[in-house]
Amino acid sequence: MRIRRKATAGTMQSSDLVVTVEPSEALGIEIESTVKKQFEHLIRARIEAVLAELDVTSGRVRVSDRGALDYAIAARVEAAVRRADQE
Amino acid sequence: MIDHPSEREARAFVEGQGLRFEPGVDEWAGLYENGRLVATGARAGRILKMFAILPDHQGTDALGQLVTRLRASAEAAGHGDLFVFTAPDKARSFEALNFRMLAAHGPVALLEFGPGLEGWLASRATLVRPGRNGAIVLNGNPFTLGHLHLAELAARKVDNLYLFVVSEDRSAFPFQDRIRLAREATRHIPNATVLETGPYAVSAATFPTYFLKRIEEGTEAQMGLDLELFGRRIAPFFNVAARFAGDEPLCPLTAAYNRAMEAILPGAGVAVEIVPRLALEGAPVSASRVRTALEARDWPLLAGLVPPATLDHLKRMEEGRP
Repeated sequence: MRIRRKATAGTMQSSDLVVTVEPSEALGIEIESTVKKQFEHLIRARIEAVLAELDVTSGRVRVSDRGALDYAIAARVEAAVRRADQE
Repeated sequence: MIDHPSEREARAFVEGQGLRFEPGVDEWAGLYENGRLVATGARAGRILKMFAILPDHQGTDALGQLVTRLRASAEAAGHGDLFVFTAPDKARSFEALNFRMLAAHGPVALLEFGPGLEGWLASRATLVRPGRNGAIVLNGNPFTLGHLHLAELAARKVDNLYLFVVSEDRSAFPFQDRIRLAREATRHIPNATVLETGPYAVSAATFPTYFLKRIEEGTEAQMGLDLELFGRRIAPFFNVAARFAGDEPLCPLTAAYNRAMEAILPGAGVAVEIVPRLALEGAPVSASRVRTALEARDWPLLAGLVPPATLDHLKRMEEGRP
């Protein structure tokens, strides 16, 4: 899948996250989280896994997380990428 | 349920919660419970404000729902980074939504969504010079001999001088022209660097009433925020130990801003030097005088008010060439 345009998924409510993806030459992941100190590496690993599954190799992925569980992270990232893949 | 309250309904609610209503809102978001409005928030451009939540609904996730809605509409309107104005004691609630504190002054705090300021500073790291540096923040609408006089004088007193040109495009001359003329006019000053303020000084976020040119309720708080942000976040990054400004005999708003500078910046470790304005034929040289002279097509006067680069630009405008 390819990030062809800017797209967003998720909410800013507690236990959820907002994922914004937009086209970029390199692959970059930026994480803001209320639990960044403890969990940034796990959040990043989950995002990287989803992007690899969807075969996304470029794009800017920004995440604003409020303590979401990892299945929520995976679902929101996938939703944002699928929206961004549509022309 | 999140919906759009009417402005009338929102105003009554906000005022009922003891907040000041400000007009000019692009979108209202309201949280309803059983048909009753229990929380509101508003967006004007990239700025979120007027968040009010009924006392018995505080501690719920009302704020998260309101901000989700306003953020989505801001994005649809093309605004990437968001700012929020709130009371300092509410700042923590926004920090829990991943907003970051920029500055607080008196009854107001300004936060932004995402790492905007840090990213902005980091991308300008190559412009940082060691030493005891100085700064001038100017709109340059357009750049005059008064600006040049101030820049030359300041440059002699510091190791490096930063000229921050206001980025906000709400002036007669567009930003691209204002910064280009500032660059051309100061090219001969070896220790001067011209850069833009971004949204972090004298902007719609930090100091919206600057562009109205009149003092309103709230203006003083905005000036305080703008200067706290400059003094505590921007100045230390660029090793700025002194800020320079021309004295202001005419415009009450600019005069008040100069006074606020003298009151606030020294507390943040930035000395303030107000320099007498350059005068021509008994009157101060100012950008507003230039604009008046331009309307009157008084070219001999204009030649005495602006440096060659600006004069050239004005002449090309007059001839209808870009």
